[in-house]
Amino acid sequence: MRPVLEARNLTKIYDGADAPALDRLNLIVPAGEVFCLLGPNGAGKTTTVNLFLNFIQPTAGQALVCGIDAAVDPSAARARLAYIPEQVMLYGALTGLENLQYFTEISGAEAPRDTLLSLLAAAGLPSDAVHRQVRGYSKGMRQKVGVAIALARRAQALVLDEPTSGLDPLAANEFAALIERLRKDGMAVLMVTHDLFLAKQCGTRIGIMAQGRLASVFGADDVDHLGLERAYLDLFARAA
Amino acid sequence: MSDLALAPLAAATPAKRRWRVVRAVAAKEWLELFRDRRLVWLCAFVVALMLAALAFGYVENARILSERDAAARADRELWIGQSAKNPHAAAHFGQYAFKPLSPLALADPGVDAYVGSAVWLEAHKQNETQFKQARDGGVGARLGSLSLAFILQTIAPLIVILMGFASFSGERESGTLKQLLSVGAKPRDILAGKTLALIGAIFALLAPALVGAALALIFFVDRERLSLSDQFIRLGALGAAYAAYLAGFALLALGVSALARNSRAALVTLLAFWLANSFLAPRLATDAARALAPTPTWQEFRAGVAQDKSKTFGHDESHPGFIAFRDETLKKYGVTRIKDLPVNFRGLALRKDDESGYAIFDRHFGALQSVFERQDALRAAPGFLFPLLALRPISMAFAGVDSRSQFDFATSAEAHRRDIQNEVSDNIIHFAHDNGYVAGPELWRKIAAFAYRAPGAGFALDHSALPIVALLGWLALAAAFALFAARRLRPV
Repeated sequence: MRPVLEARNLTKIYDGADAPALDRLNLIVPAGEVFCLLGPNGAGKTTTVNLFLNFIQPTAGQALVCGIDAAVDPSAARARLAYIPEQVMLYGALTGLENLQYFTEISGAEAPRDTLLSLLAAAGLPSDAVHRQVRGYSKGMRQKVGVAIALARRAQALVLDEPTSGLDPLAANEFAALIERLRKDGMAVLMVTHDLFLAKQCGTRIGIMAQGRLASVFGADDVDHLGLERAYLDLFARAA
Repeated sequence: MSDLALAPLAAATPAKRRWRVVRAVAAKEWLELFRDRRLVWLCAFVVALMLAALAFGYVENARILSERDAAARADRELWIGQSAKNPHAAAHFGQYAFKPLSPLALADPGVDAYVGSAVWLEAHKQNETQFKQARDGGVGARLGSLSLAFILQTIAPLIVILMGFASFSGERESGTLKQLLSVGAKPRDILAGKTLALIGAIFALLAPALVGAALALIFFVDRERLSLSDQFIRLGALGAAYAAYLAGFALLALGVSALARNSRAALVTLLAFWLANSFLAPRLATDAARALAPTPTWQEFRAGVAQDKSKTFGHDESHPGFIAFRDETLKKYGVTRIKDLPVNFRGLALRKDDESGYAIFDRHFGALQSVFERQDALRAAPGFLFPLLALRPISMAFAGVDSRSQFDFATSAEAHRRDIQNEVSDNIIHFAHDNGYVAGPELWRKIAAFAYRAPGAGFALDHSALPIVALLGWLALAAAFALFAARRLRPV
């Protein structure tokens, strides 16, 4: 299948660092796949996300989005991506609906008001919060607006960095169902998470990163929850 | 999850996409600005301050105009009411030429307070202007008044900086820049949107001042003496110049905000530039201009004029020049004695002496004006870096209160003085048959009152080429810097 997200020998060494944060990562996420990246803090997961979004420049290698090198044409690459960070940051003086409308317009899409309201409802934002200024939102509510922004983009790829952080279990479960639906629609999803349960629930492939490298990759059907947990712990026990 | 939520959204056409992004960014910035009551109140305060300055300028100008009109009328009455006397004695009696007040001086008082408002017109001498408000007004007047020009030149850029310094850095700190760039928005489109928003804010600041000034002009302009349309052209030019000046500050603030590590660093950098532009650069540029194009002291200047004037004969009948002129005149009329001349020799000698003096005055005052113009050019040249140096001369020129307008008035006053001289000398030449000749009110009335018509807006434009180029250079440089900074924009 045609790769939507692809890392080719992707390497990042931060200024002043001795070891690479990301070391020659090779990764392909085709359409209709959810690739979950697991790993402890500092393993290189968020660096990978930042390189696909060209928030940082790679030291070597390429991060390709639909064949577009994110370092060469970041706007074109980002236009094909939707991104939900761990902490969705919104404009506090604007309402949830105004934030969604703004980010949708900025992405170049047309968004009728009814559609935007439906997206917010679909993301689980309470209807009484839609017209309130975001500065009064909880973290979970902000996350839901972030989900609505990503949905409105209708991008070919979705990059998620700890997306369910701050969501209640019900919302997290709804979120997992949403990811599955997007996958079936042909979206390529790269999800960074610490949540082994979520990774097993959503992922079609699961990778475990350690010290900037992709140490292990499992097919979702090749391992159960316990097996994934054991593999994760064994990997870091060996490293220790 | 509803089907509607996942339905594809129609993409904007490529041609409209960019404008939609720019418009969306500008609208969001405006909404945030409007909801941030602190900035709204600050802008309202500045607008109120500008309108107050305008009102003060209006009242002050009305007072000055009334005083000058009254003084001009009184001086005219004195001239006409003088007793019968020899016409040359009347030329020594003298009269004032009052400079009419430029209506737009209510917005920018310019150099009027420093260069004087009236010239004393008398025989043999070209005088400098007198009645300098700055000299008569004490220390307070020398510090400058709270004029509309001062507010727009000094305080308005500060407001633009306060509105713009956190445009990018604040978004980076709050994390929204990451979110913004992640949706594929191009930094240059975000920059364009933020620039549009700031320019909108600048327009909101300028519009009340321009409307207030326009209303003041409608009430203030004496349409018998001045063209209202010319004043509106001047006001339009002032509006454009101030808009360019402040737009440059908006672009600079955005550029610095995009490059700075954080909002605090952006604010400190911009405030340092504001201080340099508002206070340091004008002082240094003036000192540098004086050093590179030094002006003589007034004593040196007067001594130079006096030295050249000593070569003319004046009233000295033993002066070789007088003797030569007398001999030449006698020869011309074919007589040997002055009393045989068909015209009054004293009148001829006065006219000859005056004409010799005109060339001397023209040479010395022309040279002095050239030095002033060179100083003006030297001061305005760095205006592309420190835009106040470019804006000030443009503002004063279009308000009709710059040194060139003053020179034009002085030249016109001198031409009037020469008309008086010529008139009285001609009267003596043709009517005085002996030394006891006197003229009366008919002659005094025949000499028209001084009526100066200030040149139109084209005059200001002609003499503002360098500062206009410098101001446009500032705008272009600020835009290039902002674009450069936007290209280097990083969300983390």
